[in-house]
Amino acid sequence: MVSEKTPFGKVGTYLLFAGPTTFAFFTVVILPFLFGVYLTLTNWNGLSATYVFVGLKNYRMVFEDRAFWSSFGLTLRYVAYTVVLTNVIAFTLAYLLTSGIRGQNFLRAGFFVPNLIGGIVLGLIWRFVFSNVLVYVGKRFGWELFLRSWLAHPDKAFWALVIVSVWQSSGYMMVIYIAGLMGIPKDLVEAATIEGATGLQRLRYVILPLLTPFTTVCIFLSLQRGFIVYDLNKALTEGGPYKSTELVAMHVYEKAFLAQQYEIGQSEAFFLFAMIVGVTLAQVYLGKRLEVEQ
Amino acid sequence: MVRKLVFFLIAVLALSAAMSVTASAKVNITFLNSKGEIQAQLEEIAALYNEIAKDVTVEVIPCPVGQSPFEKVVSMYASGNAPTIAMVDAGDVKKFQDKALNLTGERWVQDAIPGSLDMATLEDGTVVGFPFAVEGYGLIYNKKVLDKALGKSFDPSSIRTRKDLQALFEELKNAGVAPLVISPLDWSLGAHFFSIAYAAQSPDPKQVDAFLKDLRAGKVDLQQNSIVNGLLDTFDVMRAYNIDKDDPLSGTYDRGSYLLGTGEVAMWFMGNWAWPQLGELDPEGEYGFLPVPISDNPDDYGNSQIPVGATKFLILDREQSSEAEQQAAKDFLNWLVYDAKGQDMLVNKLSIIPAFKNITLEPRDPLAKSILQYVRAGKTLQFVLDLPADHWRMVGAFMQKYLGNAISRDELLDEIENYWKNVK
Repeated sequence: MVSEKTPFGKVGTYLLFAGPTTFAFFTVVILPFLFGVYLTLTNWNGLSATYVFVGLKNYRMVFEDRAFWSSFGLTLRYVAYTVVLTNVIAFTLAYLLTSGIRGQNFLRAGFFVPNLIGGIVLGLIWRFVFSNVLVYVGKRFGWELFLRSWLAHPDKAFWALVIVSVWQSSGYMMVIYIAGLMGIPKDLVEAATIEGATGLQRLRYVILPLLTPFTTVCIFLSLQRGFIVYDLNKALTEGGPYKSTELVAMHVYEKAFLAQQYEIGQSEAFFLFAMIVGVTLAQVYLGKRLEVEQ
Repeated sequence: MVRKLVFFLIAVLALSAAMSVTASAKVNITFLNSKGEIQAQLEEIAALYNEIAKDVTVEVIPCPVGQSPFEKVVSMYASGNAPTIAMVDAGDVKKFQDKALNLTGERWVQDAIPGSLDMATLEDGTVVGFPFAVEGYGLIYNKKVLDKALGKSFDPSSIRTRKDLQALFEELKNAGVAPLVISPLDWSLGAHFFSIAYAAQSPDPKQVDAFLKDLRAGKVDLQQNSIVNGLLDTFDVMRAYNIDKDDPLSGTYDRGSYLLGTGEVAMWFMGNWAWPQLGELDPEGEYGFLPVPISDNPDDYGNSQIPVGATKFLILDREQSSEAEQQAAKDFLNWLVYDAKGQDMLVNKLSIIPAFKNITLEPRDPLAKSILQYVRAGKTLQFVLDLPADHWRMVGAFMQKYLGNAISRDELLDEIENYWKNVK
């Protein structure tokens, strides 16, 4: 066996167990990432054989790209709504489904299922629902709300995106919350009950504080998902009508490959990366501070 | 256990070595198809060619709907997996000049219709692309529906002005037939409809180029341009008679072809690439093109012409393909142009209007026939293809806003002027 005592032995053990993974991670994630960052400082268009170093010019272009900033603003709005709605709904479902109602295992599986469908398929299904099924229902019963396809109206198309995202990811977050709720010691809740705490008080002063680590994880996941969503955006609205629901990931992609301004798209992608890292780190840090000892 | 494993590994290695030996006798070439509507037909042709040319296998790869061929080809190059033959949009051909094989010496270069190689010829005269399809667009009419609604045989040459068109719409409406459907697709509205306004500026392509240059330089006032306004006036008429008037932005391409093919509407603004879908719904139907009129004077340029041009080009890869693969790809193109079977496949199976003089086969599909009539009568507008890469997406979005009544005409023209001023 390799000895763990010497420094050399430690490295050996590490390489034995984590070496292949480290190698794979380094070559397919770290290296391309660093190379990508380097490319933002050049004028490479993604195709030509030669390119030159241009310094920070691309980043200046990012700041001048008005469409990027409006997409970014829209994404912030989208993230705010989806994070709040997803977590509120996921927690509510988790709370109900751990309270011992009938068929709760079946219901848990049911709420989780949307998460198993890929974004593109999901987008196409909902596209059909919004532009055909709901319109049919609207015409049949004369409901003003559904008379016209939601996807043809900028605000409603935005809400269609939010609804489908929440529908998709709340099941996943629900599973995490359920795991958290099941891990809360029964004696604490019982003690609170004996002390005369009402249901709401138990929730507010016992359950929620103990659940903070899980809330942090869920908010982190939904934040990160919200910022980089692309497949659903592409399949459900295609950024339409008239580019009014183009979220930032889609804008970056179109800038690079459709407008064929690869270097600017790449810089915007890196900028987006930095923003996501900033926001999520801040969120995790704050979340950690809210945690309590049992 | 270990010995078994070693033995197994050796067996696998030997097997894969054997497989690669047998594979090397055959040349595999890939064909990236960016005309989704002919994917199935192309696969049939590939299968047929694979039988004829025994040592060559052509594999057809589709370009996903909604992804531009440029994106797809770039990503395939980046992954070291470039297609031997790639079908790209006319405006993108020259961007691949570092990667594309020089085709100047090919026989078909001499047989190409004048002008069809313009988008694929570099400044030094090198030809890097094969003009795959000539396409045209306009208002497609369903003759059966028109005849029935009008009570007489419809004569397309009777519609020469906006007034004529409006009168026809009104007559159809009174006869209880929905006059037309506008598919609110950005590429249709941006790359096709609005670019009529560029093409109709002048019969001289150089003047059109100059107009586009002036647009870039911000020297054009679109509000004062009578052709642009004329085209939009016609668009206003079309909007008013659109079957989807109440919900103009929800339509899809499939809905358009369905409505026209089943006779629910009499006209649809689209191009001859729509035939595979229309033909499936209504194989015996009679269809043809009407120009989109831009004024009330029948003699104005653009009122009796439809835009026609070579829109899709094939480029061969010289960077990641072997000599044998490049040769096989060249042979395949020659087969399409010079072999009787290949010509038949191109014209009849793919419903394509070839860009080569030596192919004399008459197309069977009515839309291609209609375009050929316009071409032979010399009544064509330039199909403006030399537009910025994101022109269709951006101007398409502005046109969608206008179609959906979200902006006024002044705002529309402002946005378009701004787009041109800031485009790369």
